Amino acid sequence: MFGLGVLKGMMVTLRNFLGSYFSKERLTTVQFPEERIPEKERFRNFPFLVYDKTPEDPRCVSCDICAKECPPKCITIVRDSDSAGKPLKRPKSFDIDFSICMNCGICEEVCPFDAIFMDHEFELAQYGRFEDLNYHKEKLLKSNDYFKKIRPTDAARIDQKRAAKAPKA
Amino acid sequence: METAANTSEIDQGLKSELQKKGIVVTAIQDLYNWGRRSSIWPLQFGLACCAIEMIATACARYDMDRFGAGLFRASPRQADLMIVAGTVTKKMAPQVVRLYNQMPEPKYCITMGACSISGGPFKDGYNVLRGIDRYIPVDVHLPGCPPRPEALLHGLMKLQEKIDSQVIEKTEWYQKGLKREFPVPEFGPNGLNPPYNPEVFTPGQQRPITV
Repeated sequence: MFGLGVLKGMMVTLRNFLGSYFSKERLTTVQFPEERIPEKERFRNFPFLVYDKTPEDPRCVSCDICAKECPPKCITIVRDSDSAGKPLKRPKSFDIDFSICMNCGICEEVCPFDAIFMDHEFELAQYGRFEDLNYHKEKLLKSNDYFKKIRPTDAARIDQKRAAKAPKA
Repeated sequence: METAANTSEIDQGLKSELQKKGIVVTAIQDLYNWGRRSSIWPLQFGLACCAIEMIATACARYDMDRFGAGLFRASPRQADLMIVAGTVTKKMAPQVVRLYNQMPEPKYCITMGACSISGGPFKDGYNVLRGIDRYIPVDVHLPGCPPRPEALLHGLMKLQEKIDSQVIEKTEWYQKGLKREFPVPEFGPNGLNPPYNPEVFTPGQQRPITV
């Protein structure tokens, strides 16, 4: 019969509408700023840098692999050097332009030092485009404990790998 | 761009004390800002994949209507907010600017996603505009590829904060003789002409606060 499919479809809507008065499962709306959907562990948004003990001593050795592999080229690294001009194994500045980053996670995949990982932070709207969205080293560095908190499975695997690699003292 | 705090004429302490006694005091400006903040009607306008997230935000789980911004208008004449959701190609850019010009004052703009902020992964391409802020003023920049629906709601809340801080006498659209028509670029064989609007696009220097 003509229109039967429409009626069937509207019955679903009606059942959900009336059911929402009796069953909590049919109330789908998440009241965002107050309540949130629990984040999945593998959810990825923007990268952050990991440090083990202090932010002055990050895992990153400024090898520039992530900057070269980054498809939209949003990472800029400047290597630090000591007073004699000898290059050091740490970044002087590490900038990620969040206005260009496309959340692909390739930087995380290619990093041989397990220094850069994808974060869960997503509330990043800003009024300005240039300086507000260009994240510097100070803003990007987060502790390993934070990484363990947001992604326990990956953090445990990485820690195990690093412990096996570390020279026995 | 920094926004000033809401500087109301009424003393905040006195206001809350009166409120406890059942007297509600407000300035016209607060009422006006509250009205505009609570009914931002967006333009039903999506350009690429970010539009899917925008649609998801309008659906039942995230429900943009809770913020008074769920009524997507099909006509720019009825819209207050343009969510530039997706890659702005050079061929589409003149139409985007024209739609923005057709919107009545006060109007706002959110750029959603990396492509509309800066061109994103296509920024070196021959056919993609490197950020819609070359032609129209943008209020809130929302990074992500694409930003998740909660991120769009956060951007909307940022916009509401900005609207809350506006002062009626100083708003751009009540100034005398002010023209807020943004020149529509022309798409030709060598791309867009002009490449950007120097009145709007000033990298390296902060735009004056217009609230």
